[in-house]
Amino acid sequence: MKRLLALLLVLWVAGFGPGAAHALTPEAQQKVVTAASKNLVEIGLSYHGDEIHFFGVSPVRDCDLIIRLTAEKSEEVKLSVKGRVGPFWMSVKQYDVTDAPFMYKIHSTKPIEQIVSPETAQELELGYVAVQKKMKLHLARGEAAPDDPAKVFKGLVKIKEDANLYNIIADPKRLEITEGRLFKHYFRFPPAATEGRYVVESFAFKEGQLLGYGKDVIQIKKVGLEHWLTEMSQNQPVFFGIMAVLIALGAGLLVGMIFKKGGHH
Amino acid sequence: MDIYLPIAGMSINFFIILGAGGLVGFLSGLFGVGGGFLLTPLLMMVGIPPAVAAASDSNQIVAGASSGAFAHWRLGNVDFKMGLVILIGGIAGGTVGVQVVKYLRAMGNFEFVMKVVYVLMLGLVGGAMFIESWRTIRRSKRGDAAAGEEMGGAKLGQIFQKLPLKMHFQRSGLHTTAIFPFSIGAIVGFMAALLGVGGGFIMVPAMIYIIGMPTIAAIGTDLFQIVLTSANVTLQQAFVNKTVDLLLALILLFGSTIGAQFGAIAGRRLKGEQIRILLAIIVLILAVKIFFDLILTPSDLVSLAPAKGGGH
Repeated sequence: MKRLLALLLVLWVAGFGPGAAHALTPEAQQKVVTAASKNLVEIGLSYHGDEIHFFGVSPVRDCDLIIRLTAEKSEEVKLSVKGRVGPFWMSVKQYDVTDAPFMYKIHSTKPIEQIVSPETAQELELGYVAVQKKMKLHLARGEAAPDDPAKVFKGLVKIKEDANLYNIIADPKRLEITEGRLFKHYFRFPPAATEGRYVVESFAFKEGQLLGYGKDVIQIKKVGLEHWLTEMSQNQPVFFGIMAVLIALGAGLLVGMIFKKGGHH
Repeated sequence: MDIYLPIAGMSINFFIILGAGGLVGFLSGLFGVGGGFLLTPLLMMVGIPPAVAAASDSNQIVAGASSGAFAHWRLGNVDFKMGLVILIGGIAGGTVGVQVVKYLRAMGNFEFVMKVVYVLMLGLVGGAMFIESWRTIRRSKRGDAAAGEEMGGAKLGQIFQKLPLKMHFQRSGLHTTAIFPFSIGAIVGFMAALLGVGGGFIMVPAMIYIIGMPTIAAIGTDLFQIVLTSANVTLQQAFVNKTVDLLLALILLFGSTIGAQFGAIAGRRLKGEQIRILLAIIVLILAVKIFFDLILTPSDLVSLAPAKGGGH
């Protein structure tokens, strides 16, 4: 009996077990039960970003956790690359980047490469390497060079990290696990995280196998004046443009007249 | 005190924007320039996306320039007829310039040549103006009477005297052909389109030295035509790019309209040559700054692509 069990275990480890299916389907895994301190963030006049705390229970004890925050929307980023032209530094080419996430943050208990194999990381799009492979570059101006993809990606990550839209933190202190299964952490949504839906996914791994998965959706939207101004500028551009010019003219003349009144000494 | 800018999509300190607007408004009222050359990079430095910075800046310039133009109009410094003729020339030159830019860009990399030309031009204009105003200041200190208040392109003006379409520009004290200011406007508008920057810094010296207008009238008149051109740019930006951040523009213009009033008052207390030497110094600083941008190794080789158009 013991032998049979051992054989079964070997077979399981060798690739017939649940984690070895060729297409990884996170939704098919056991559920990582999670809760967010809030699911709706409202952008008002004094908004300067928000911090959302997440709590969760992993389905298995003592596993490795990778938690990823991404935006549902994607954007096209236009990046110019500087180069030397004679003694001068000029922007010599421009790349249009598509399929790069608008926001990409990861918290993990250990560096990603210590938790999963490169193949799994690629399939689940975990880590910068996976993001870079998915990103598409289109040369809009100038001549391409072999090291451009790496250079452009590095530049993009720096811009995004400076805006606090990208980062990867592998730190058990940031992603705290208590009693083997309970975990908590927080994501900071910077002001640059604009309106839209954001997805926070929790992946639980043990010995490189995906064993649990959970998902939270956070919605960010503008309210009040912020909402109105955005709506007008995007959907009523003619009215908005004329209004902007008239307000500016009116303000200029008004201040001029106020100074005229107060200007006689 | 932080405030969230809806189109820029970021939160920023209210007083930083107010202060930047005030400073630029002061320069605008004093020198008759739009100030976009200074404000757009300033806004980008604090993290506002380039396209939003340029568009909101032109919106703000409408307010700053109209406040300044109004102040100068009350002081009798605006030559409306001259302003309109130059403006029509500017629009004609700008339209041709935009087409030429398209053509040149299709031919290959011409931008760095243009930037070098720009630096040289600013250096020459700034240098010549500095020397001229310095001499005038020294002469008036020695008490050499008011020898030739405005000098410069009088000879060019005489050639134009022989052309038809004569007009009388009362405020500027000139009786000359309309072709003359029209061509100046066209050339500056053409260069502004080619260089992707506004023409205020070239236009004011051109009005003073080539057309021969009194310094203070050149400033008032230029402000008047900036109101119209920047209103046009704002509308274009709002229609096409949808990048005008009205909240950002409102805070900027609150600062700049007040700054412009102080600028106009300061301008009244200074002599023509004193204003000219200050303007010369700023033009030279600008030339040096762009020159160093060209030769110093940038900290980031990859950056967000700047938006085309806008700025004065």
